[in-house]
Amino acid sequence: MENIEKQVREEARKLLSEKKVDALVGYEQGTLPYQAAPCIITEPEEADRLVWNPFCSVNLAKYVHDLIFQHRQSQTRTKPEDRTKKVVGIVARGCTTRSIVIHLQERQYERDEVVIIGVPCTGYIAKRKLFRALDGAEPLSCVVEGDTLKVESAAGSKSIPIKEILSDSCLTCRYNNPVISDINVGEPAPPMNPDGEYDDVDAFENLPTDERWAYFTKEMDKCIRCYACRNTCPSCYCKVCFVEQSQPRWVGVSVDESDTQVFQIMRIFHQAGRCVDCGSCVEVCPMGVDLRKFLKKLDKDGFDLFEHRAGESLEDPPPLGAFSTYDKEDFIFEP
Amino acid sequence: MTENKANENWEPKIVAFVCNWCTYAGADLAGISRIQYPPNVRLIRLPCSGRVNPFYVVKALQEGADGVLVSGCHPGECHYLTGNLSARRKFAILKRFLSYIGIEADRTMFTWVSASEGEKFANVIKGVTERVKALGPATKMIKTL
Ligand code: SF4
Ligand code: SF4
Repeated sequence: MENIEKQVREEARKLLSEKKVDALVGYEQGTLPYQAAPCIITEPEEADRLVWNPFCSVNLAKYVHDLIFQHRQSQTRTKPEDRTKKVVGIVARGCTTRSIVIHLQERQYERDEVVIIGVPCTGYIAKRKLFRALDGAEPLSCVVEGDTLKVESAAGSKSIPIKEILSDSCLTCRYNNPVISDINVGEPAPPMNPDGEYDDVDAFENLPTDERWAYFTKEMDKCIRCYACRNTCPSCYCKVCFVEQSQPRWVGVSVDESDTQVFQIMRIFHQAGRCVDCGSCVEVCPMGVDLRKFLKKLDKDGFDLFEHRAGESLEDPPPLGAFSTYDKEDFIFEP
Repeated sequence: MTENKANENWEPKIVAFVCNWCTYAGADLAGISRIQYPPNVRLIRLPCSGRVNPFYVVKALQEGADGVLVSGCHPGECHYLTGNLSARRKFAILKRFLSYIGIEADRTMFTWVSASEGEKFANVIKGVTERVKALGPATKMIKTL
């Protein structure tokens, strides 16, 4: 871990001092001991701010898109021939690189506008699980020692095996090593347990219809429509999201629970073939809505119907951006 | 649209999104051939089944439709060549997803009816109406405010 961190800083410094990138997105120590926050650095001296540890949770690909688009926006009044490109570097684990693949496939930016420092990943700590392990006590300091996390809290000190508090997305991750990269640091990480990937979805599918609806409504009732899930999602980069569109107004903003359900159905549906299961939405959700249960279903169907795994490779087009005459059509109603 | 739901004379309301070139023409054919079909369906004509935003289906359910039908040209016969092929992918996922979250599968139906299939159009409407009747009035995800 420390070794990877050192190498990440080294590579970042090199990229910035050789001017190969204009800005670099990585993680830095957050304001709380159990937090690593996204950071954007532009000077080689700042490379020492970067960290790499199991608290690095949110998917950074979103920031690459944001930076590139902000830069483009700032040039709308520049003559086309005078416009410049900015290159963004990024510290990326498996899921982050898959999100970049999606951006590239959807022609958001060119491959030469991003420099990827690929990092092997052994999973990140889900904050909710950490708090559960501490019975809700606020951690005052956290130290990673090999496979355990030593936590000091008001309730005393405790050692927690990291494996027990990893995010659900990480436990069944299929791509914990980068799928594309320009620079690789560290040795490839050992595989997680992708075989159990759809166990949750399978179990849910087998419940009676009304129980599934009851679970869906119970989860969506928690949602306060803060849109943090959308804001953190690298696949949610639309300039104007449907939830803010007012001509026509797609989804109401009343307290009627159906409005929230419709918002969720549509946001989740927009991730069909595009959700890389990085778990960022679940991680940032203040209300602990079980979004993964529903997003994972799309992932499962994407593979089942179109043999597609989101962001797996640049050559494999997004399933809803393609079609085949031989697509399954067993759902078509024949009277 | 919440009126008369508990009534025993309840009749389902079904919204059908149909394409201009095949299914709508098929409905016309059913009409001029005087083929009877249940009056429960409200047709909305769109250029192509590929134009049907999955949101339309979800919205129709939210606004109180008891069933939604989407119908276009048969694969390979799309007026715009491939509109229905991309529609097929979207709706394969949408149908599975809606039934996964607990909305009865029979409330969202997808089919193909060509311009020469007036008979089939009538049968589709009959079939869909029967299925939705069997489910009873829609109660989930309906906007009441
Ligand atoms: S929810 Fe849909 S419309 Fe909104 S940003 Fe995400 S992908 Fe775009
Ligand atoms: S982050 Fe959670 S509470 Fe906020 S909009 Fe998303 S699901 Fe709802």
